[in-house]
Amino acid sequence: MPDYIDPHELEQKQIFLILASPGTIRQRNTDLIKEISRLGYHTVVITTNYPYSVLARMYAQGGIPADSVSFIDAVTRNSVGNVENIPGVVRFINNPANLTDMGIAITEMLKDQSGRKVCIMYDSVSTMLIYLSSVNISKFIHFVINKLRLMDISGVFLAVEKGLDPMLMTQLTTFVDNVIDTG
Amino acid sequence: MEETDDKKLSAESEILDNALVMIAILGEKGRVVSWNHAAETITGYSQKDVIGSDTIWKKLYPDKDYRTIVTRKIAGILKTKNYFEKLETTIHTQSGESRTILWNTKMIRESGLERAIAVGMDVTAEREAQAFHASIIDNAYVLIAVLDPKGKIQVWNKAAEMITGYSPDEVIGRRDVWKKLYPDAEYRRGLTDKISRIIAGQNYFENLETTILTKKGEQRILSWNTRQIGDGGVYHEIALGLDITEQRKAEEALVAYMTEMTMRLKQPVDIVSNTLLESAQLLKDGMLINNEIIVVLESQARNAAQIVANIQEFQKAIAEKNRSIPEAYRKFLEG
Repeated sequence: MPDYIDPHELEQKQIFLILASPGTIRQRNTDLIKEISRLGYHTVVITTNYPYSVLARMYAQGGIPADSVSFIDAVTRNSVGNVENIPGVVRFINNPANLTDMGIAITEMLKDQSGRKVCIMYDSVSTMLIYLSSVNISKFIHFVINKLRLMDISGVFLAVEKGLDPMLMTQLTTFVDNVIDTG
Repeated sequence: MEETDDKKLSAESEILDNALVMIAILGEKGRVVSWNHAAETITGYSQKDVIGSDTIWKKLYPDKDYRTIVTRKIAGILKTKNYFEKLETTIHTQSGESRTILWNTKMIRESGLERAIAVGMDVTAEREAQAFHASIIDNAYVLIAVLDPKGKIQVWNKAAEMITGYSPDEVIGRRDVWKKLYPDAEYRRGLTDKISRIIAGQNYFENLETTILTKKGEQRILSWNTRQIGDGGVYHEIALGLDITEQRKAEEALVAYMTEMTMRLKQPVDIVSNTLLESAQLLKDGMLINNEIIVVLESQARNAAQIVANIQEFQKAIAEKNRSIPEAYRKFLEG
């Protein structure tokens, strides 16, 4: 498995936009977390497609230590109803379009992990397109990236390759430090 | 000899009578001595009504104010010379019509008496045609500018004023309007180079798009076409500028909507499809428990429902944005 992220750049708290094909994006998610964990980082995964429990099981199977990952889950609460947050493990939000709750959850989760080397992984920009216009996605990502830079935290945004229109792609490219097309 | 004179007189009279322009010979104090057939036809007043009297002028110019203007104009001309040329007046005919007459006069002496010959050419049709053409130019929905060989603007129609904000008074006879319309020196230079290149190959250009800055400070996109007009070595340039700003905006909006729609529909459908396939594989591998299967299926059902809502939103947006869509299709798009 090739390394996608330069450890030096991660150390510099850079922000990455990682592109993957629709068929490989799930595997890329696991590969990246394994790589980031190996570098001693805790990853906060914002999941908009799978319940956190499924991802946690996939990661465990991929040999990723459970305590090196925590989740902001935008899927489960919408189906199951009232589920309790598990501090340090998972915070639930009602749906992926609720950007206010998502912003609060990110802030809270980063507080939970204070003192650790943390990387945020946003999975995925493409799923967000179901619920939000490209304008709103762009604004939200800009907001999150500003927050990450202020808190001196690195971040990874996953997106399906060729899935973003040139305007959104240009904006995201401007916001992030690195665009890596993993194919 | 007398017979010869009579024949000559008769021939002159016949020529006078059959001339295609109105000819009136005036004696003392404007009394009409001769009134030809064309004069009768044009004015509607017969020789019988006119000869020996000077009242015809009041009939032809019944409006006192207008008559005063014409009289003053003639008096002004006659101060310096005893004839006038190409004096254009509007007469009122017996049937109540207005006719435009172009007058030329000449003084002659006949049998020791001084006479004025007034020759009036009916230019009504010509003037109407000119007015019609001017009206077409003025009311055309495209900017029309005609430039003389020195680049000075000679014609600047209403559309030109409406689009640019500059009135004919600010533009006619000048060359500096282009600097106002293209105030950015670099853009203007690039444009001039481009036009020069085109003109070098052909003496006109077609569908050249430029962005002007109007007097109000708004940007408008114009599509220009030019042609050279004229002959005898003196050429004028006629420039037609069609304001395509709204068209471009609509096209850009439509492209933006189509792109957004592709991005927000194709990708999400792929995501739903891939998630379901992956989930099926996870299920086969025993990686999903019942509750998780429910959550995955429900979340993908929500995604699918949201995709349908997005399609409806886009349909409406396209229908609203593009009013040129036929009514039946618009209703379909509006759901």
